[in-house]
Amino acid sequence: MFKRGWEALETLADFLQFVRRAARVQFLRVPPRAQFLEQAVQSGVGSMGLVTVLILFGAMGLTVQGFTSFQRVGGQSVLGAFVGIGGVRELYPVLTGVIVGARVGANFAASLANRQISEQVEALEVMGIDPFHYLVAPRLWALTLTLPLLCAYAIFVGLAASYFAAVHQLGMNSGNFLNQLSQFVGFSDLAAGVLKGVVFGWLVAVIACFFGYRSRKRDGAEGVGIATNKAIVISSVTCIVVNMFISAIMYT
Amino acid sequence: MPAIEFRNVSKSFGDRQILKSISLTIDEGSIAVILGPSGTGKSVLIRCLIGLLKPDPGGQILVFGTDVAAIDERRRADRLKLYAVRKRFGMLFQDGALFDDMTVGENVAFPMRHHGGRMRESEIKARVADKLARVGLKDAVEKMPSELSGGMRKRAAFARAIAMEPDFVLCDEPSSGLDPVMAATLDELILEMHRELNIGFIVITHDTAEARLLGGRMGLLNKGELVVPFDATDKVLRSNHPAIRQFFDRQKDGPIQVV
Repeated sequence: MFKRGWEALETLADFLQFVRRAARVQFLRVPPRAQFLEQAVQSGVGSMGLVTVLILFGAMGLTVQGFTSFQRVGGQSVLGAFVGIGGVRELYPVLTGVIVGARVGANFAASLANRQISEQVEALEVMGIDPFHYLVAPRLWALTLTLPLLCAYAIFVGLAASYFAAVHQLGMNSGNFLNQLSQFVGFSDLAAGVLKGVVFGWLVAVIACFFGYRSRKRDGAEGVGIATNKAIVISSVTCIVVNMFISAIMYT
Repeated sequence: MPAIEFRNVSKSFGDRQILKSISLTIDEGSIAVILGPSGTGKSVLIRCLIGLLKPDPGGQILVFGTDVAAIDERRRADRLKLYAVRKRFGMLFQDGALFDDMTVGENVAFPMRHHGGRMRESEIKARVADKLARVGLKDAVEKMPSELSGGMRKRAAFARAIAMEPDFVLCDEPSSGLDPVMAATLDELILEMHRELNIGFIVITHDTAEARLLGGRMGLLNKGELVVPFDATDKVLRSNHPAIRQFFDRQKDGPIQVV
């Protein structure tokens, strides 16, 4: 127990050192363009299908659930508020952060761990190329810039799905629904979603890169699995915890 | 003046001492072989040489006049010095370490694209073709590393290591995992590049046949120490030191113990 606690502290210290070096390289130097574009397309465009399906069904589920629950107490008129607050402010950004984070984070961690165990990272260093600049920075920029766009996209998909479910499936009055929605959801919520995307994107990327990058040759194939696993678990938990704090700061 | 000089270099990981006060010199453009059983710190030695690992305080590693052991990677000026040193080296990794998201040709072109200054694309192409032809892989330019056999991967990695025609190429177990014919081919390549391009080679290996063939200077590492002073291969081979005899006569018992 004591030993595990100590190891966790050591990992945290390593992480902070990693963040320092990564942030310095990320913000003080222009990342290599080709690597950045490749990562941005893979994490951004590559996640759109996933986000669409996920939010479509998540939002419809939320709407159906809200409709039937509120119907029992005769409060159908709060459905728009429920969907607006629960979905737009909370569910869609955090769901996007967690799922895209898992998808892209796993990718980052596995690819960096693989490059470590096959000595490709050392090969870069021997050539006098900083692996933080060549490998880490493009990944950090890619997810930090694409995740907010995906969050904004998720909000639109979610609203459209809720509208479709409420008006076309459950028979609510279109004007009523939109009216309720507009009372609770505004541009600032979209901005909050985008802001959450930026924060989640950078956190997920830096956590995933950290676990991938710290793998060593002796860890072997199993090490790649462990790194990937840790990247997903820790980045998802971080997103959900940080989401709570951002919401607490913005909406109280 | 020697190009590379180790002065009392030690390296520990935690309380395990891997290298114990190593001193040796390597001349420019020469071949140096570091022999030893597995796990005696051969890899650690060459990684200290190019600053991938930092030796314990107290030792010096002079590489073309720069003390690599004194470099503090957190300081930008030091980092630039280290990169300047590294540009004079190529490295052949144990399993090649080819970038697996690029073709063989792009792998060989990679160091030129990053350090070639204003090398023209046609010039890079010509050099890639030349280096790949030298290692017998001129038809593999467009192939991905995953499509190559172990021996081909290693030769492609060799082509990448000599791409910039560095002063030295560090070879980490060049013959490990290769069949004897391929191993001999690779050794022959090392000698050829040494003759034709005047490249120095620092080879770490546990293959005594390879060590004999390459010649130059040699040292045998056991438990982090050179058992006899680093010297001309013939001289080391004539030594009657029990560890040398055990290693070259392939004996089970002796000062070198299996860990």
